[in-house]
Amino acid sequence: MKNRKIMIVEDEPKIREMIELFLRKEGYYRIYAAGDYSSALAICRQEKPDIAILDVMLPDGDGFSLLSAIRTFSDMPVLFLSARGEDEDRLLGLGLGADDYIVKPFLPRELMLRLTAVLKRVYASPIPERLPVFRSGEQVVDLNSAVVRRDGQELPLTAKEHAILVKLYENRGRIVTSDALCLAVWGDDSYGYENTLMVHIRRIREKIEADPSKPVQLLTVRGLGYKLLVQEAL
Amino acid sequence: MDSAVRILRKFVGSTLLVSTLLLLFNLILLGSLIFKETHQEASPEKVVREISSALQGSDGKYSLNPKGGALLQQNRAWAMLLNAEGKVTWSEQLPPEIPHAYNIVEVAKFSRYYLLEYPVYIWEHPEGLIVVGYPKYSYEKYQLGYMTDWLRSLPLRVLLLLICNVALAVALSLFIGTRLIRKIRPLINSIHALAKDKPVNLETAGLFSDLSESINSASATLQTRSSQLKSRDEARSNWIAGISHDIRTPLSMILGYASNLEEQDNLTGEQRQQAAIIRRQGEQLRSLVSDLNLVSMLEYDMQPLQLKPVRLSALARTVVSDFINNGLEERYSLDLCIMDERLQVMGDEKLLYRAVSNLVQNSIRHNPDGCRITVTVSRSPEEPECCLSVSDDGPGVPAELLPELVLLPYSGKRTRPVRQGHGLGLPMVARIAEAHKGKLVLESPTGEGLCATLQLPPLA
Repeated sequence: MKNRKIMIVEDEPKIREMIELFLRKEGYYRIYAAGDYSSALAICRQEKPDIAILDVMLPDGDGFSLLSAIRTFSDMPVLFLSARGEDEDRLLGLGLGADDYIVKPFLPRELMLRLTAVLKRVYASPIPERLPVFRSGEQVVDLNSAVVRRDGQELPLTAKEHAILVKLYENRGRIVTSDALCLAVWGDDSYGYENTLMVHIRRIREKIEADPSKPVQLLTVRGLGYKLLVQEAL
Repeated sequence: MDSAVRILRKFVGSTLLVSTLLLLFNLILLGSLIFKETHQEASPEKVVREISSALQGSDGKYSLNPKGGALLQQNRAWAMLLNAEGKVTWSEQLPPEIPHAYNIVEVAKFSRYYLLEYPVYIWEHPEGLIVVGYPKYSYEKYQLGYMTDWLRSLPLRVLLLLICNVALAVALSLFIGTRLIRKIRPLINSIHALAKDKPVNLETAGLFSDLSESINSASATLQTRSSQLKSRDEARSNWIAGISHDIRTPLSMILGYASNLEEQDNLTGEQRQQAAIIRRQGEQLRSLVSDLNLVSMLEYDMQPLQLKPVRLSALARTVVSDFINNGLEERYSLDLCIMDERLQVMGDEKLLYRAVSNLVQNSIRHNPDGCRITVTVSRSPEEPECCLSVSDDGPGVPAELLPELVLLPYSGKRTRPVRQGHGLGLPMVARIAEAHKGKLVLESPTGEGLCATLQLPPLA
């Protein structure tokens, strides 16, 4: 992972140095820096970097057209780093096929996390990402195979129950509003599914709670939504 | 109703009124001036009757009493009496050329018209026929004779005549009126267009050329003004966007190196603490810059809105959950009260989220000792009817300061400096509400905290 080639295109030399410093601190060592459009394109052709961090404003062009030019010969992931936070720019960048869009000023940690996330997503082994398996009290919830293991037997989860649990697990320890859950399960225009959602939640509790009438894992937050408490991932 | 139609109606109405009045006036004038003249002196018919009764005597011996003589004198008339054979048996002031005997044909002729150009009038007398002659050319004699049917249908005919007059008056006034309106219509339309700030270009020929020119020049002035205003707004907004852009680069470095120092193991705890302070202040500066940019974009109508239906209840739930998820301190309680689950508005979800969270943040910031915050979604009886309110039970704000809260800090009208925060929070909410064709209403009943209500028009 740390031996990936990273290209930084940024017209401000001080920012360029700073990003380079953080990358080196993080352990990356194959770093190529460019200050303008033409040299960035040259590096791309010569070194074939694995990922690029592009500034939107460059002295001899802009990051969007640079991305279009790169896309003619390479599919490498690209992160935009822009001093313009306007939504349109963000959408334009992502629409052109950028993998992420970070607005200046940014925290180094944020940049590193996003960079790592993109690298993982693009270059991780081709096996599909495994869904988590976690413990809920005495029960083990296996989202990967959509079953709950309880008292030595396997209780299957329905598609809806599975989708609800995935959404809750992604936000474990936090309140997920019923609207967000309905949206995740039934998609847009999911208004009016609150009661159906309640039924599904009750069925899930029957499977994962020791006492479904006194839930301790899947809590109702009155008027807002639900919260999943998880001990640890297995 | 259209003002052109109103003008036309008034015009036709007043034309009718004027013609009716004119007709009445004429009738009265006719009665009082013209016919009065003919009856000023005694009519010849009356004179001849008088003379007839004034002539006494029989069988060739006649005498006119003095009153009759005076009457003749007064009218400069002459008189004679014809017996049954047509002979003159008595006469007074008879002009010499008048014959002294008449046959029946001659009598019939002069009784209707003239006797040797003297207008004569006749009356019965016990001894024959009295003839009174007036001086030549003093009277015109006409014979009137009418059919009974014609007389009977006269009122109907007069009525018909009047109706025809009315119809003609209406038709004429309509014709003239519509022609006038056709000329006024572009003027009216252009004035309406002026009010809507649309460009106007009228033809400057014809009856109202001077008016058209004035309207055209008014329109041109308005258009240049508004384009100037727009370009100035754009310049201001771009200026702020530029400044905030220029601040971002140095701020990136401050944040970057400060947080780098914060993680350095070879620094003392105090030094790392100081680096953390720099980093936190930098983050505040970052939020100030982006808020400033957003407020200025909203202020000058340059913020693009990504409109889609937003359910207020879902929005309120998201805001409340996020505040709780991000660790709301113990001394604050956040309640949600949804009166109408269905309320939907057409809005930019991100901006509305921002507005509601600003309101909650505002309550938190201004009540450092803790308070109870309630987010309410309800339908209000007045327009715009979708309400999302955030209220707290803190000390509130004096009523006279409420209007200032939505003004931009350091703007001329704001008399007091901002006390906590950067003062962009509520102005931003107010501008987000305006961008959604709604408004922000602030209320603070004494001692009962602040209640901020976003009123938005419902989804059509």
